[in-house]
Amino acid sequence: MPSNEILDLDVAALAEHLRGKKISPVDVTKAYLDRIARIDEKIRAYITVTADEALASAKKAESEIGSGNWRGPFHGVPIGLKDLLYTKGIRTTGGSKILAEFRPDFDATVWARLKAQGTVMLGKLNLHEFAYGVTSSNPHWGVCRNPYGFDRIPGGSSGGSAAAIVARTAVATIGTDTGGSIRIPASLCGCVGLKPTWSRVSRYGVVPLAYTMDHVGPITRTVRDAALMLNVIAGHDPNDSTSSREPVPDYTSTLNAGVKGTRIGVIRELMDNLSDDVAKSFKAAMTQLADLGASVDEVSIPSLPSANVINSIATFTEALEYHEEWFRTRAGDYGTDVRRLLEAGMAITGVAYVRAQRARAKVLADALAAMEKHDVLAAPGSAISAPKIAESRIGAESEPRVDVVDKILRFTAPFDCTGQPSLAIPTGLGGDGLPLSMQIIGRPFDEPAVLRVSSAYEKARGPIAPPSI
Amino acid sequence: MAELTGETVKKMAREIFDYDISEHDAHGVANMAGAMLTLARHLGALPLSGIGPAFGYANLISEAAHLNAKKV
Repeated sequence: MPSNEILDLDVAALAEHLRGKKISPVDVTKAYLDRIARIDEKIRAYITVTADEALASAKKAESEIGSGNWRGPFHGVPIGLKDLLYTKGIRTTGGSKILAEFRPDFDATVWARLKAQGTVMLGKLNLHEFAYGVTSSNPHWGVCRNPYGFDRIPGGSSGGSAAAIVARTAVATIGTDTGGSIRIPASLCGCVGLKPTWSRVSRYGVVPLAYTMDHVGPITRTVRDAALMLNVIAGHDPNDSTSSREPVPDYTSTLNAGVKGTRIGVIRELMDNLSDDVAKSFKAAMTQLADLGASVDEVSIPSLPSANVINSIATFTEALEYHEEWFRTRAGDYGTDVRRLLEAGMAITGVAYVRAQRARAKVLADALAAMEKHDVLAAPGSAISAPKIAESRIGAESEPRVDVVDKILRFTAPFDCTGQPSLAIPTGLGGDGLPLSMQIIGRPFDEPAVLRVSSAYEKARGPIAPPSI
Repeated sequence: MAELTGETVKKMAREIFDYDISEHDAHGVANMAGAMLTLARHLGALPLSGIGPAFGYANLISEAAHLNAKKV
């Protein structure tokens, strides 16, 4: 099979070819390593490419599959990991100068679980420094760019994870999400990003940003791939006391069940100040779901606007607690924007922090009340398509500067605050040729409903034109 | 309502965090954090009576058990 055809296969299709021995994991891995070598300089999705380790894992997978020992859909499949996840013996920078030479002596549980399935790791992916921001314009490891427009941000903080999916330099990737860091890059780059319920996936071995709101999840080409990846990474981990003991279902089992009779609530508080393209595309997506048999109406979550404040206060405080020692002794080693956010954390009072944590329950209560008569909620992924890199920097000289809180974060941060599962899925390309998206949000631990609705929409929507790189 | 100033931020940074910050940066931090503290006060307008922070005791017990398990 020619390289370009290999690169077009998603996890589900690739797994079938690998299991049937129609292609070899070594050929697949080589196709991806070649692609990375050819184009990653333009995108900067990778911080570290682990070519030797990838080829060794691929050879092992080839031998195991050849002898009839197929471990599952990720066996021999090459993926990338956000460089916030510990990888034993392999540099884990957190996108920072501070951890530039850090080589962990153990694997993050998420990577350990994927590795146990025979997954091949292509490398560690670029991100906003320490996951603390949404541009992924990394001052230490290079500015990560959107494959649909090199002058545009890919979003963040898991910018490299989404850019690699769309640029065809990984089949699937892992991201993390504290204020939107899986869903924002998925939205702005045009791929699928699933933030599972808080505690659904272990955070052991993941550099923290804000302990009470950090989530780990898949970024993929399709909803099915996200479900396949969640099947591997979800579940209790004795090394993460906050990880849930809720049973893990097969997330692919209800993907094709359709949406007939499904009740979808559009969140009123997230329908204002949208660009014309976003508004039009979101409305079309709701019409498609209604045409498939879902009922779509509006719901209100009155306290939702407070969720951004709660998310910010918790993140300011918890991030500074983690960074305090480096912050005092190596402040000059942080990028300007991250240092400024850590400095702001110094002035947040304990009173504000505890009140924010109390208010979280109120926002979740309102969200669950809004879901009493609805199976899932829906909202745009952001108010705009990917802004220009120059407009998105803190202290940017060009005007207009983008208000990333109003245009982007207010759509995603509320569901880090409530911990509900939320999936970002592309709804098409706008007039500027950039991806647009929506989110499907579920009740805690109801990832199956989120995946089912998203999958039905994805099939109705059809494919989206890939970027020309 | 009291306003957070650059001078206060500079003093607090030095005395509490042993951290030196320029006048300019302290002013920027005062604006950002001051706005956030004002918004945090507004959270008090939500009906929070009877709501505690969701720091679960179950997690505290599991963390302690995990720490003790590591010692073995």
